[in-house]
Amino acid sequence: MNNSKVLICDDDPGILDMLELVLSEEGYQVIPESNSLRVAGLIKDKQPEIVLLDLWMPVLSGDQVLRNLRQNESTANLPVIVFSASTDGRMIAMEAGASDFVSKPFDLDLLINKIHFNLTNKGMS
Amino acid sequence: MNNLNQVGFSLPDHNLKQEFDLLKQALDASIAGIIITDNQQADNPIIYCNQAFEHISGYQRSEIIGHNCRFLQKEDRNQAVLEKIREAIAKGQRCVVEIRNYRKDGTLFWNELYMSPVKGQDGKVNYFIGVQNDITRRKVAEQQVQSNQAEMERRIEERTRSLKENQEYLSSIVQTVRESLIVLQPDLKVMMVNDHFIRTFKVSREETEGQQLYDLGNGQWDIPELRQLLEQILPTNNPVIDFEVSHDFPYIGKKLMLLNAHRIELEGRYKDQILIAIEDITERRSIEQRKDDFLSIASHELKTPLTTIKGYMQLMNRLLTDESDRKLKSAVEKTSLYVERLNNLISELLDVSRIQSGRIELHKEPFDFDEMVQEAVESILQAQNTHQIEIKGRTECTVKGDESHIAQVVTNLLSNAIKYSPDNHKVEVYLSRVGDYVKAAIVDQGVGVPYPDQQKIFERFYRVSDMQKQFPGMGIGLYICSEIVKNHGGSLWVESKVGKGSTFSFTLPLEAEKGAGGEQ
Repeated sequence: MNNSKVLICDDDPGILDMLELVLSEEGYQVIPESNSLRVAGLIKDKQPEIVLLDLWMPVLSGDQVLRNLRQNESTANLPVIVFSASTDGRMIAMEAGASDFVSKPFDLDLLINKIHFNLTNKGMS
Repeated sequence: MNNLNQVGFSLPDHNLKQEFDLLKQALDASIAGIIITDNQQADNPIIYCNQAFEHISGYQRSEIIGHNCRFLQKEDRNQAVLEKIREAIAKGQRCVVEIRNYRKDGTLFWNELYMSPVKGQDGKVNYFIGVQNDITRRKVAEQQVQSNQAEMERRIEERTRSLKENQEYLSSIVQTVRESLIVLQPDLKVMMVNDHFIRTFKVSREETEGQQLYDLGNGQWDIPELRQLLEQILPTNNPVIDFEVSHDFPYIGKKLMLLNAHRIELEGRYKDQILIAIEDITERRSIEQRKDDFLSIASHELKTPLTTIKGYMQLMNRLLTDESDRKLKSAVEKTSLYVERLNNLISELLDVSRIQSGRIELHKEPFDFDEMVQEAVESILQAQNTHQIEIKGRTECTVKGDESHIAQVVTNLLSNAIKYSPDNHKVEVYLSRVGDYVKAAIVDQGVGVPYPDQQKIFERFYRVSDMQKQFPGMGIGLYICSEIVKNHGGSLWVESKVGKGSTFSFTLPLEAEKGAGGEQ
């Protein structure tokens, strides 16, 4: 069982609930957050090993959150998987420095594999 | 002549008689008709006529003498000149008139009549001498000239009116069209603009017509693209169609315009004038943009709850064990299938919007064509268990293109093959290399496509009639496939027989750079 801490930020509570349930089942410690403005603070406080980030969020979009993280030395190499329902999401995410991208609606097995993969390869990228 | 002798000419001797005969012969030799009327008798009878008069009138002397002159007019008694004659007789004056007379046989002749009175010593008019010339030929010629002239004038008037009408007709068209029109002289002075131009660009006719185009409204038409069109493109390419110009006008703001320009290659008045029709597409583009944005947002918003649903479905699937209820398992499986279908429909809608606005994004990378087809087939096989799919042949080729889009084409064609062959369970995929193209043919033994519909099924939202009930759909799958293949420089087509099945084939060029015709 994997007990890594996963921070998930999505403004949609449905997705947040679902991912919390699924990832808890997988053994992860899930930190759900719907407000993108709180992400940086939560990372500092809770020290998650990986972040799942939605792209289209009000006030501060996922790619802006990500850019900020990449500029900060302590989070520059933190694995961040971005997901989005928009077709140009992959390009935006990669440009902002995402470790990986999953398009919505995603396949759970794929997402879980990617989380696992990025945790294992942590620091190598 | 006895009569004459009695009334006036008293000739005293023999010599005079001779002279008189000579004069009479002279009168008869004249080609002008001459008569003398006696105005002392009632109704002014004719008392003398010469031979020429007999000739002109067609009457014999015996039929003339004693008559009033009016017998020559027959029934034609309402001539204006008669008044003039009456007046001359009454006043004892000379007069010259042109009068319509009629010969004995009834034919008209124009008579130029000189009348002069012969007065007695008391000043009373005793006789009138009438000298007549048949001027019919001259008159007819005159009339001909007059009627020709009248006809000419009538024609000119008609032509002028028709030109005027044409001009008004054209001008009303020009003023009514909902497109701005401007006519320029060769020196780029504005000759004319229509009402729509004036309304669209919020200017007055006075400050526009007669001005240099580039000087209009503080140089707001001095647009580099327009200069390029007028000075470089138009002289070599005539006409120019759909030339796009975007310009930020003071007061009216940013305008996106499509211009059609035509240089008139005529001699004369309209030589080298330039006609420009301006279509303001600012609003249309903005509506298109809003529609695209709407579809994009709608699809995003629809996918968000779908992500949650799909997640829970997968979770349910995991929670099911071998011992779980068979009906529950089937329900979960079916639900997953329909969630996937809903997801595809949403994606397709977004794709259509992108294709229509020409914003389909192709990320072209080299990929293994056979492997891509293999993966597409496997994903279809996983999603259903009613049909067998068999791949025959290999291309052994690497194709440069957008793999995910091409995979979408293959998946779509396979899904169709399955969907439209409910009573047959075999679908075959033939792969081959043909020249510098790869070819994939998806063959089913299903319901087939009627011949008249075989072209139309690639059109947007087209559905073969009577199909909707048995095979529901939106009619956009094949449109998207066809657009994707076209965007890669290949082609997609169908061969089919109703009741026997269909073969959908597509080709892709191996040299994407050349085949795609400058795509990307």
